[in-house]
Amino acid sequence: MTAETLLEVTALSRAFGGLRAVDDVSAQIRKGELVGLIGPNGAGKTTLFNLISGFTPPSSGTVVFRGRTINGLKPHQVSRLGMARTFQNLRIFPNMTVFDNVSVGAVGALGYGLRHGFFGGRARAEEISARTWAALERVGLAGVAGELAANLSYGKRKYLEIARALATDPVLLILDEPAAGLNDTETAELARFIKGLHAEGGTILLVEHDMGLVMSICERVMVLASGAKIADAAPAAVQADPAVLEAYLGIADDEEVA
Amino acid sequence: MVANASRVSVAARWLGLAALLFGLIPALLAAIGGGYPFQVAITALIFVTLAVSLNLVTGTAGLLSLGHAGFFGVGAYAAALASTKLGWPFPLTLPLAAVAAAVVGVLVALPTMRLISIYFAVATLGIGEMIHVALLNWVSFTRGPMGIRAIPPIEVLGLDLSGVVGGYYAAAAVAAAGIFAVHRLTHSYYGNALRSLREDDQCAAAMGLNPVRLKIEAFGVSCAIAGAAGAVYAHTASFISPDSFRFEESILILAMIVVGGLGSLPGAVVGAVLLIVLPEALRGIGDFRMIAVGVFMFLSILFQPKGLLGEASAIALFRRQLGAAWRGDIQAGWK
Repeated sequence: MTAETLLEVTALSRAFGGLRAVDDVSAQIRKGELVGLIGPNGAGKTTLFNLISGFTPPSSGTVVFRGRTINGLKPHQVSRLGMARTFQNLRIFPNMTVFDNVSVGAVGALGYGLRHGFFGGRARAEEISARTWAALERVGLAGVAGELAANLSYGKRKYLEIARALATDPVLLILDEPAAGLNDTETAELARFIKGLHAEGGTILLVEHDMGLVMSICERVMVLASGAKIADAAPAAVQADPAVLEAYLGIADDEEVA
Repeated sequence: MVANASRVSVAARWLGLAALLFGLIPALLAAIGGGYPFQVAITALIFVTLAVSLNLVTGTAGLLSLGHAGFFGVGAYAAALASTKLGWPFPLTLPLAAVAAAVVGVLVALPTMRLISIYFAVATLGIGEMIHVALLNWVSFTRGPMGIRAIPPIEVLGLDLSGVVGGYYAAAAVAAAGIFAVHRLTHSYYGNALRSLREDDQCAAAMGLNPVRLKIEAFGVSCAIAGAAGAVYAHTASFISPDSFRFEESILILAMIVVGGLGSLPGAVVGAVLLIVLPEALRGIGDFRMIAVGVFMFLSILFQPKGLLGEASAIALFRRQLGAAWRGDIQAGWK
């Protein structure tokens, strides 16, 4: 019944000075899951995310991805193992075309070195180009492939970032607050899109500040508050959890009545 | 953008460029008459080569390098010493100069590549000065301020290119080779990888690119081309001294790619030709010419922030490079 464990985080902690941004978090993600990670502002979501993707080294604990301990690996090494991410505050390459933006993901995953650049590398280039087009078509940006990324609307830039991550052909896709700054219609469209990726067999970790999107599409939701994991269950169970309500609303149920 | 143009038109464009460099331009220079136009053209071509090489590092990969003239100097001295002391001919001193400059470049790049933004720029400024001071004070090897004289002119496999016209063809061939090499790299997916470093190197790392390795490679290739330009300079000028490889020259090369447009290969060529030919063309107005050149540079950056043909704004790049040091998210100069 249980699928292969893709990502296993054990007793992971990270302190910045005296602040324990992530405190003894253990969690796992199995192949094919769509998991949400939520928490109020400052809960440590992004720090946890950076610990997993190699951007910040952990103070203690281990991260095992596809059976390999990846603590201490550089971001590009983690990426090449098949973990792709997007960024919370939209990080596209503005002075490059949409196509070139997405191609960077394919180049990172497939490799295109100095030697390929000098001596042609035609076969590799065709592979990269095919993968780039596939990712562009998947998010519906193939029509604006030649456009400068800076000219895209905010909503389309979100999809551009996802396409770039998809071009690495990830085993695990981590989306950092993809719904931030989107209106309700756009969020609903994004929800459909993420569900579609999941239906195709993708394993997705969705880091979100907002509960709505996560509760509506995720199979399992982890809640982080003050650096610690306070819940890890199905959306309905998480929504009924008093500890989660307290973390989100700052008050317990009985106080609300009084 | 990549691999879209048909191969026929690409070949036609290279043939056109060759016809221009080796046919039309020398014919025009000859029509003006005398050796002087050829002399200016040689200087212009040497700086075209330098600007094209700096464009790879600064324009495409986004590393603000302020010491490029130092690597030009390493190449020039390597060629000058090998030809005067060991009697090496140009076909040997040219690759030697390229390799020497690349080796020095990669060696100094290794510890500095992890430096970010402004700290990297300051480090390259220091490296440029160090090279200049070494050339100036290592008298037993470089003859210091006296320079190296009587560097043999260019001769390739019995073909005598000793005059200004011959020198022009040699300089044009090296410039064309430099343009070709940089064009190949920047118009491939490798170029996209370098551009993504310029735009956001952390994000590029998250896509699986190794920023440190890419930066060192780009820096090495760039220094090799600058070193080759140094060899051409040494053999065509026949006399070199440390004075030709100072901070001013580094800034001049940087100004060329900023005016021409960061990241644009034609821009680097046009910028270099403009900033070499303009002061010569304006000799009629005497000392005012440098002011005129300054005004031209100022206006071009004011009205064309991306340069004449650029793909990234120089102001934005510098602001980001300089501003990063003051932003809260960076604790120190190391990454």
